[in-house]
Amino acid sequence: MGTTRALAALVAATALIVGACQGGAGRPGGGSPAAGGAGAGSPAANSPAGGGPAGGSPAGGGAAAGTPLPGAADFKACEVSDTGGIDDKGFNQNAYAGLEGAKAEFGIGEIKFLESTSEADYNRNIQTFINEKCDLIVTVGFLLGDATEAAAKANPKQKFAIVDFAYDPVIPNVAGIVFAIDEATMLGGYLAAGMSKTGKVATFGGIDIPPVRTFMEGFAAGVNYYNKQKGKNVQLLGWDPKKKSGSFTGDFQDTAKGRQVTEGFIQEGADVVMAVAGPVGLGAAAAVQDAEGVMFIGVDVDQAISAPEYRDVMLSSILKRIDNGVKGAIRSALEGRFKGGVQVNTLKNEGVGLAPYHEFENDVPQELDAEIDALRQAIASGQVKPADWYEGAPGQ
Amino acid sequence: MTAAATTVGAGSAGLRRQQLFGFVYLALAAIIAVAFGAATEPGATSSFELNAPRVAVQLPPLVVPSAPTAYALAGLCAFLGAVQLTRGFGARNAVVLGAVVLLFIAGFLVWAASTRSMNLVGVLQGTLQRATPITFAALAGVLCERAGVVNIAIEGMLLTGAFVAAVAASATGSPWIGIIAAVVVGALLAALLAVLSIRYRVDQIIAGTVINIFAIGMTSFLSARVLQRRPELNNPDRLGPIQIPLLSDIPVVGPIVFNNNVFVYAMFVLVVLIHVALFKTRWGLRVRAVGEHPKAADTVGIDVLRTRYQNVILGGMLAGVGGAFLVLGSTGRFDREMTAGRGFIGLAAMIFGGWAPVGSFFASLVFGFADSLQARLSILNVPIPSELLLMVPYVVTILVVAGLVGRARAPAADGRPYEKE
Repeated sequence: MGTTRALAALVAATALIVGACQGGAGRPGGGSPAAGGAGAGSPAANSPAGGGPAGGSPAGGGAAAGTPLPGAADFKACEVSDTGGIDDKGFNQNAYAGLEGAKAEFGIGEIKFLESTSEADYNRNIQTFINEKCDLIVTVGFLLGDATEAAAKANPKQKFAIVDFAYDPVIPNVAGIVFAIDEATMLGGYLAAGMSKTGKVATFGGIDIPPVRTFMEGFAAGVNYYNKQKGKNVQLLGWDPKKKSGSFTGDFQDTAKGRQVTEGFIQEGADVVMAVAGPVGLGAAAAVQDAEGVMFIGVDVDQAISAPEYRDVMLSSILKRIDNGVKGAIRSALEGRFKGGVQVNTLKNEGVGLAPYHEFENDVPQELDAEIDALRQAIASGQVKPADWYEGAPGQ
Repeated sequence: MTAAATTVGAGSAGLRRQQLFGFVYLALAAIIAVAFGAATEPGATSSFELNAPRVAVQLPPLVVPSAPTAYALAGLCAFLGAVQLTRGFGARNAVVLGAVVLLFIAGFLVWAASTRSMNLVGVLQGTLQRATPITFAALAGVLCERAGVVNIAIEGMLLTGAFVAAVAASATGSPWIGIIAAVVVGALLAALLAVLSIRYRVDQIIAGTVINIFAIGMTSFLSARVLQRRPELNNPDRLGPIQIPLLSDIPVVGPIVFNNNVFVYAMFVLVVLIHVALFKTRWGLRVRAVGEHPKAADTVGIDVLRTRYQNVILGGMLAGVGGAFLVLGSTGRFDREMTAGRGFIGLAAMIFGGWAPVGSFFASLVFGFADSLQARLSILNVPIPSELLLMVPYVVTILVVAGLVGRARAPAADGRPYEKE
């Protein structure tokens, strides 16, 4: 019996140790020699020469590559990711690309990240970074809103930046990096409607939270705008604009659910699918690839580049330049201009946008491309407001 | 406590059970009439699409008037309830229960598809896909428990199999090597369980739990440390669907059964093979003897421990294949804790299926159907909150395990270590 216990205890202990290790998996950041700034090798790379819709940064990322800013060597920027994981080929990874870009461009001394494997990790991870005396803690995602607020109020000297969250009233030591993503998804919705042969397009989300819904509402706005302009009746599956409810897989982790939902959409006749679900979207892309004649619209980063295995089905991507937003926040903290409040990224300041069509360059009719360009300008100038089109043509 | 025993016994307990079922049937009839029938808009129709995308033979959709159909289903259900209350169905009790469940589901579908169109073939395709990993898990459970070893480590074996399949298939560029690697790792974990529970006679539940925790910790750790640094190791080729010529052109059945990936076909073969092996061969008789009465088996010269080792390891190999399906046959990517409890649902399916491969397969289909339907309803914007829908498979699990568990009997020596005197 002695051996038995010892053996069982040994296995159990190993399991617990390994389990504990992965909970606090903090990898010292990158160390990549990429001197070309956020561009080279980073998953968010957009061909800068190609006239891609997303080029500049909203908050001054224009420092020449490799010229360190004064005091940068002692600066430490730290990211707490959401549950999707730092390798999600989208959201969290893109925020980290912002840190890597800041390291390469401004020469900041140290970047780190901690991954949250569950919501219970948020507080713990933030506290770890406070203890490590990070100069700026970047929390990635709406779901970290409460944890960040609590930590910021308890540590008023610690600077925070949070993606996708705007505090009202403003917390002086938290900069909110928010995105008018519906402007970009409206373009995506228009593109999807214009490219659909079956007259049905689809979208679904991960967790039912406002930043995700904004993607879907903008997409609906684009479809509605297309229908009104063209007198067509393209249907949208997965989001009901009137009831403001739609399909959600329930998390940002279970890729199998993304696949299931997408198979459902395809069986119901949809031939363009946009997944707003972090890595769950990769499961959706797998389903799209296994079907014939179906296209996929990626989100957050240009997924034709970040997930090249799905390039053949990637019609375009909705760009959410979290990397630029994060870089901007780091820069302002570095230069002593940091202040709490909200920094809104729009089509106009190129903080959001539509990625190039890549493989579909020759399939998207020139006329449609021109219409999308016109719509882009109309939105940027304020002539067309996505929110007016959420539920259908305005005034109807 | 079988249905026949209930009525033959005809004691007060049996009568109460009969009446209880009668009242339940009547209540379900009322729900069908009120919640499904009366809730539809007057004159609305429910349309069921019967074609998969791009099939040769197109069938017209099945269109029925919503409310009248629901009332008809409710009437049928109420009739069955009334008969059950007054005189019972005797030996046919189980069949009637099944019929009532089907009526209820049909009523629900009519309501859900009211004023909409639902692709029925799609729902059934999804059912089979979702049932596949559950079936592999259940088969693993059947093999282990028929020999008298409780294996709750199947979840961990699925997860590890998925991880290893992703890495091996990415590294070598061949999904087949991924499957082989998953089988090997499944066998290794099973061997660990076997040694702990057979040789060292550790409590089997505890040994299994430890292996599960170990698998979750290990795969999460490696995925954070290795896969994130080397994403090319988490990018395997998938095994896509293979259309079987001619058979896949059969309307409705063709696209559901004969247009699947190699895992699903393997599942069909294995379910039949293991069922026959367990119940029609000498090997199967020995395995069952070991699971029911190891001492008796030992007396007639069956090597109890060897049989147990063999079965547990075979089960682990099957669980490994199930894990490989999750990556190579589905999402093409490993994610932390991606099995999401499918190993445990597989065990529930095994119990529901009476510790028999074919039964477990049909039980897995029930879980797959709940899951598939849930996904479909959220797509069709059926006015049920998505969180509620996501609960459905788990509620079904509880109902099945709690409500119907009494009908099936576990092998007598299940979970009890064997010690030679």
